[in-house]
Amino acid sequence: MAKSGILKRWADKYGIVIKVQRFDYAASLDAFVGKNIDACTMTNMEALDMPAAAGVDSTALIIGDYSNGNDAILARNNLTLAQLPGKRIMLVQKTVSEYLLERAMDLNGLGTQIPQLRLMNTSDSDLVGAFLGNKSNQIAVTWKPLVSQIVNSDQSVKSLFDSSKIPAEILDLLVVRTDVLKRSDGSGIRFAKAISGAWYETVAQLAGAGSASDQAIAGSAAASGDSVVSYREQLRTTYLYSTAKSAAEFSEGPAIKQKMDLVRQFCFRHQLLGQNIASVNDVAILYPDGTVQGKSDRVRLRIDSSYMRMAEKGRL
Amino acid sequence: MAAIPILGKIVDVQSRPQKLWTQSLSWVLFLVGIFTYTQFSIARHKENPEDRVVPSSAQLLQGLKASFLEPAEEDDALDPSAGITQRLAHSMLWKDTVSSSRRFFIAIALLVPAILLGLHMAVFPYAEALFLRFGLFFDKIVALSLLPILFIVFGIDEWSKIMLMVIGVGPTMMLDTYNIAKAVPREQVVKAFTLKSSNADVAYRVILKQIMPQVINGLRLNLKPLALFLFAGEMIVSTDGLAYRIGIMRRHMGMDIIIPYLLWVAVLLFGVDALLKFANRRLHPWF
Repeated sequence: MAKSGILKRWADKYGIVIKVQRFDYAASLDAFVGKNIDACTMTNMEALDMPAAAGVDSTALIIGDYSNGNDAILARNNLTLAQLPGKRIMLVQKTVSEYLLERAMDLNGLGTQIPQLRLMNTSDSDLVGAFLGNKSNQIAVTWKPLVSQIVNSDQSVKSLFDSSKIPAEILDLLVVRTDVLKRSDGSGIRFAKAISGAWYETVAQLAGAGSASDQAIAGSAAASGDSVVSYREQLRTTYLYSTAKSAAEFSEGPAIKQKMDLVRQFCFRHQLLGQNIASVNDVAILYPDGTVQGKSDRVRLRIDSSYMRMAEKGRL
Repeated sequence: MAAIPILGKIVDVQSRPQKLWTQSLSWVLFLVGIFTYTQFSIARHKENPEDRVVPSSAQLLQGLKASFLEPAEEDDALDPSAGITQRLAHSMLWKDTVSSSRRFFIAIALLVPAILLGLHMAVFPYAEALFLRFGLFFDKIVALSLLPILFIVFGIDEWSKIMLMVIGVGPTMMLDTYNIAKAVPREQVVKAFTLKSSNADVAYRVILKQIMPQVINGLRLNLKPLALFLFAGEMIVSTDGLAYRIGIMRRHMGMDIIIPYLLWVAVLLFGVDALLKFANRRLHPWF
């Protein structure tokens, strides 16, 4: 988006300067919570347990996509979900991987056995090597491209469950600090408009056909340090809200509330909202229709569809 | 200089400050640190009362309580009637300390062969010829880069983490011992032989005995690299341990737990260092 000049064009249109800074994922969240950056892309889960739980009022401007098979539970020896308790499971704990695992157990009527799962926290940088290096590691939960790396190098590893069975629960959001949007000189709103405009122009290219799409995919793959083949493979298992309309409709519908409730309950159960948060309702979510999930005086995460609607109607 | 007496004293090599001065000066930087932290925290909380990046004293207290008195999140909750000792024994901090310490002390025990190898290299020329060049080479390998291999060879349980520490610090300890033992004057060896010493006597009763205090001091300096390798291992793959908890807490900005943990690790390392220093003084009063 930055390299192609799209972002620059939109920033110029609104008379602002947008600087794109690349981070490791965890470090980008730290910087966002530390208020060193104004906007950041993250999953719905991290939006809740990082900025919102740390009292940084945040607004999700764009719902970009959801994981539709990007996250998976992998196992050797034809294990089934019912056989997981008691066996060692490698994953990055307290992330969407653990969420996926618990949802898989729940949906298959094994919810009561979740406490018997033996989790081994494994850094994503070493997970593939450690899992493949030793056949006695039977189960791993991770995301793409790591999933593809594992499955491609060992044919005996099968996917037991993946995020396509829990659609729209692992969302990718573009989040802006609410105090940035409220800047009195209006620069925050111009920033939000510029970035939304650039976003949907880029997404239209990615989702389109022909050479423009190929170029956009090649650019995005290179920017994320991935090969075009692997990137396309990831796009296949990502449900991209390719139009502003579809994203806005989802954000205003009833489904998102139900999905977010699952996620916030998970965060609370695992103390991800902090030691001093006594109730799940203390980190409340405001939806576009004005309803609040949680205590109305403790809104920390806002889902805002207005910029997506503006993009839809071409008013940016 | 004489015009400004106090300045004159500060730059005077031969000044003898009063005990009150030396005692109070040694605490100044601690106070500055605490003061700066508090100010920073207050400023951040004024802007955002729920800030978790620089926890306030109340948040830290809560974090301390959670680490010292409450079981880890993955363990079963404790009976509310449990006494304080029982609470401490089942606490998150204690559980993590036990598992980290076990790895730490096993690694230290495994450094003993490295120390003995260094001694033998210095004393026996054939051992020197065989091991020295390879030892010098192996010492330069960055142990962390071997981690994928360690996982394959030692699995992802305890041994890969312990071996990471041993491979990281072992060669340094070996070469350190080698250098110290080499520095023992040759005359002493000759003298020992003229007094009917055997080869073993020279190696263990003449050289090893007198280099022991220096070797222990070398180990004291290597405590920090040991802890560093332990942390690296635990952060990459583990189910418990002090660095495991810090890694997990980092995922959601649990600085209220991380800061007490950091201080606790510092206290533990300080304790091990003090213990070694004490042992050294007791065992080798002549040093």
